[in-house]
Amino acid sequence: MSEKYGSLIPTGRLLDGKPRTILFDASKCIGCRQCVHACKDWHDHPRTSVYELSSTNWITMEPPVLEGLSPLWGRNSCMHCEFPMCAAVCPVEAITKYEEGPVVISQEICIGCEYCIYACPWGVITKNDLTHKAAKCTMCSDRVSEDKNPFCVQACPVGALDFGLAEAISAKARKGAEENGGYLYGDKEAGGTQLLYVLKEKKGDYGVRPVGLERYPQHKIPLGLMLKDLFTLRCGFAGKIRALYLAVIHPKRLIYRYWPWRGVA
Amino acid sequence: MTNASELFPQKRVTRLPGGYMGRILRVNLTTGSTKDENLPEEPLLRRFLGGQALATYILLGELPLQAKPYGTESKVVMMTGPITGTGFTPGGTKVTAVYLSPLTNYSLGRGASSGFWAVYLKAAGYDGIIIEGAAAKPTYLFINDGKAEFRDASRVWGKGARETEDLLKQEVGIKDAKVMCIGPAGEHLVHGAMLVNDYNNNAAHSGGAVFGSKKLKAIVVYGTARPRIHDRDKLIDAGQRWRKTLDVYSVDHRKSVGYARQLEALPNLNFRSTLIADHSRGFDQNRVVQRPCFQCARLCPWHVEIGEGPFRGKIGHFNGGAEWMDTFWNLGVKGNATLYLAERINDLGIECSHFAFGAGVMFEAWEKGLLGPEDTDGLRLEWGNVEVIDRLLDMAARREGKWGNLLAEGPVEVAQAIGGDAPKWIVHTKKGTPAMHDWRPHFGQMLRELVASGGMKPQGGGTANPPPDLKYREQWGPLDRDDPAGWPWSNVLAEQYRQFCGLTGGCWFAQMHLKPDGLNSIVDSLNATTGWNFTLDEGLVAGHRSVILQSIFGTQRGWIADHDWQNVGPRFLEPVPDGKYKGFTIAKWLPEMVYEYYRLSGRHEKSGRPFMDTLSRLGLEEFKEWAQRD
Repeated sequence: MSEKYGSLIPTGRLLDGKPRTILFDASKCIGCRQCVHACKDWHDHPRTSVYELSSTNWITMEPPVLEGLSPLWGRNSCMHCEFPMCAAVCPVEAITKYEEGPVVISQEICIGCEYCIYACPWGVITKNDLTHKAAKCTMCSDRVSEDKNPFCVQACPVGALDFGLAEAISAKARKGAEENGGYLYGDKEAGGTQLLYVLKEKKGDYGVRPVGLERYPQHKIPLGLMLKDLFTLRCGFAGKIRALYLAVIHPKRLIYRYWPWRGVA
Repeated sequence: MTNASELFPQKRVTRLPGGYMGRILRVNLTTGSTKDENLPEEPLLRRFLGGQALATYILLGELPLQAKPYGTESKVVMMTGPITGTGFTPGGTKVTAVYLSPLTNYSLGRGASSGFWAVYLKAAGYDGIIIEGAAAKPTYLFINDGKAEFRDASRVWGKGARETEDLLKQEVGIKDAKVMCIGPAGEHLVHGAMLVNDYNNNAAHSGGAVFGSKKLKAIVVYGTARPRIHDRDKLIDAGQRWRKTLDVYSVDHRKSVGYARQLEALPNLNFRSTLIADHSRGFDQNRVVQRPCFQCARLCPWHVEIGEGPFRGKIGHFNGGAEWMDTFWNLGVKGNATLYLAERINDLGIECSHFAFGAGVMFEAWEKGLLGPEDTDGLRLEWGNVEVIDRLLDMAARREGKWGNLLAEGPVEVAQAIGGDAPKWIVHTKKGTPAMHDWRPHFGQMLRELVASGGMKPQGGGTANPPPDLKYREQWGPLDRDDPAGWPWSNVLAEQYRQFCGLTGGCWFAQMHLKPDGLNSIVDSLNATTGWNFTLDEGLVAGHRSVILQSIFGTQRGWIADHDWQNVGPRFLEPVPDGKYKGFTIAKWLPEMVYEYYRLSGRHEKSGRPFMDTLSRLGLEEFKEWAQRD
């Protein structure tokens, strides 16, 4: 991991260090949203709207119509990028990429600067209105650390979701795509992710975004927000000290935040 | 009987078990008032759990004996159970509504439904609702995160269930809100009118008519709360075990004749033939999408887009059984016209068997010359005439004309108006209509239908062998399908475990009693949710208690067990006319089978009243006034 990422993003190990992937086979999905509710159940989230991403709703199934009433369904949630831009721009290193796949935001460390929200090429990070911290899918890292599959995966009643070691899931996804004349999504986007979609029709028909192939894609953090963070007390004094300290010891990380068009990796 | 102020404590003195929200909403449509009641204390909850038993116990305490089904003094009590909406079990989706049945006028009416509505009632902060009074104008109840208010429903009055659901979600501005509503049938007091929720789900058996009598068009619920769970890890484990027992419906099943295949009988021409032919022709070209209930992997509900013929492109929303199809097959319709009409009847909100048996008698009368065009305003009641059936649905739902009004009343009234031999052609039990399948070739199911209240879809039916989870105490079987011996006890048991499942807030369609762990996983789900330590035996006792409360409700209002086999539509007791089981009939074994059922369930065989020792065993001594004394 250290060779791959250097000091660009914090990394960690949950279990055995073997990368894992979630598979979403759109041809099997019936749009029942049991994965969405399962996510809420496991994380003990209130039953907030299942139609939009929020700090208490980490998956949406698109389009936002009643269960089953669309011919095509797309999963909209964290893709657990191999080169997660959210982690790269986080000034306090609150976001960790685990070897097993999960990209996880530490609620203890997050200062609510919102950089990750703007940096995410999939637009799947939201801010909690009460805690003012960023939130998103964790790939059930707590379950992965116990060698269990994410709760959404076990909930799928029609086998549209699967989870396993990256190579096995990749082979399964390729086979699925071949069989139905479809293609993979998520294998190359943003340099590769640990969500693999098997799609057949146009991406837009599933409500998934056309994301480029480059690693750490250029972020869209508003300049005003960055200036505010640099020159006002926003995000708190302790957060600023931590950010400053990390900037000193990991200066290379600043490139992604302040010179996003000058990729390193 | 505990009075209301004792039943709903001002301040709880016992702990609230896990799974419950702790509150019941009491609303009065006459006064427009709403009030939160505390859920009863724990010992009472442990006795009745929730669902039908707790709701009936409340109704028994509050409904005056002289109340009429549609009077302002009439009430509806709706209850979930502790596992409803926890999210970790496949079947925790149920809400049960009880009321005085307008079909029978003297027995318990019950409608139960799954889907999402019950889950969101709990998310809104309530375990149940007590509905009183009657509004002066069309009204709906909106419960939003612990706050309840009445709103004007004039905009949706007259609309079908689908449009009502869509419009009310728009009106409250919450896409996630869940709607339980009535269609035109409920508004016009069609005695068999349903409550319809979440597109695919229905609570049949008159609840819609009682809502209509109160000018209550709908209850819209939304909230974000979730019940506290006693032991989450254990619940997840029990829920996973439960899930593994499920027989999962396939898409292919929805392209077949469905349940008729299992029963080996399909209703044709008003129950005059059971043969399965090309009824499902064209179904293979339909697009079917399963739309399961909240977190349930059994995949009962489904949407269909008709793929061929004159109804190509029409959409329908259905649930597990094939009652809708059997309804129109019974009227000679075949192919995708069946699904078109099925969607219409659900949207109008008429219970399918209520319509099927009434219309069935009319069509038979036409065939046999008792009715002609001069009697029907020119409507030609020819078997399979889709246009006429379509028209009759509208007429029934709005009580239009003589025949619309009679169909709304029910098959008995239809037959009486026709006269001649027509009363011999009716299918009914105590004026209620059995769930719309041809049950006649099967002892278990027939007995179940006969001994039910008449105002509900019965539970029970029995099995040829005891459920695997009960083998520790039940050693019998296999029962002979041609010999009545053992079937009454099998039905007594089945009724108890089905009832128990419902009381927990579980869906009995997700209860796989014939699978190992099919019952135990539900008991363990209940215990993990609540913190109780129920055994399966205690679960059966709870189910038994619910059955006895149900019959006490009838006893109080003049029902006796003898009515179960005496007040039955003759066609229902005719020998199977053809097919594999030609000649079979339960009638040969009546009333003995009914008598035995009552004896085995601790009640007098003719009066149906519970014996004192039955009441004592079940902790229902407070109802001793209604016990059998000799």
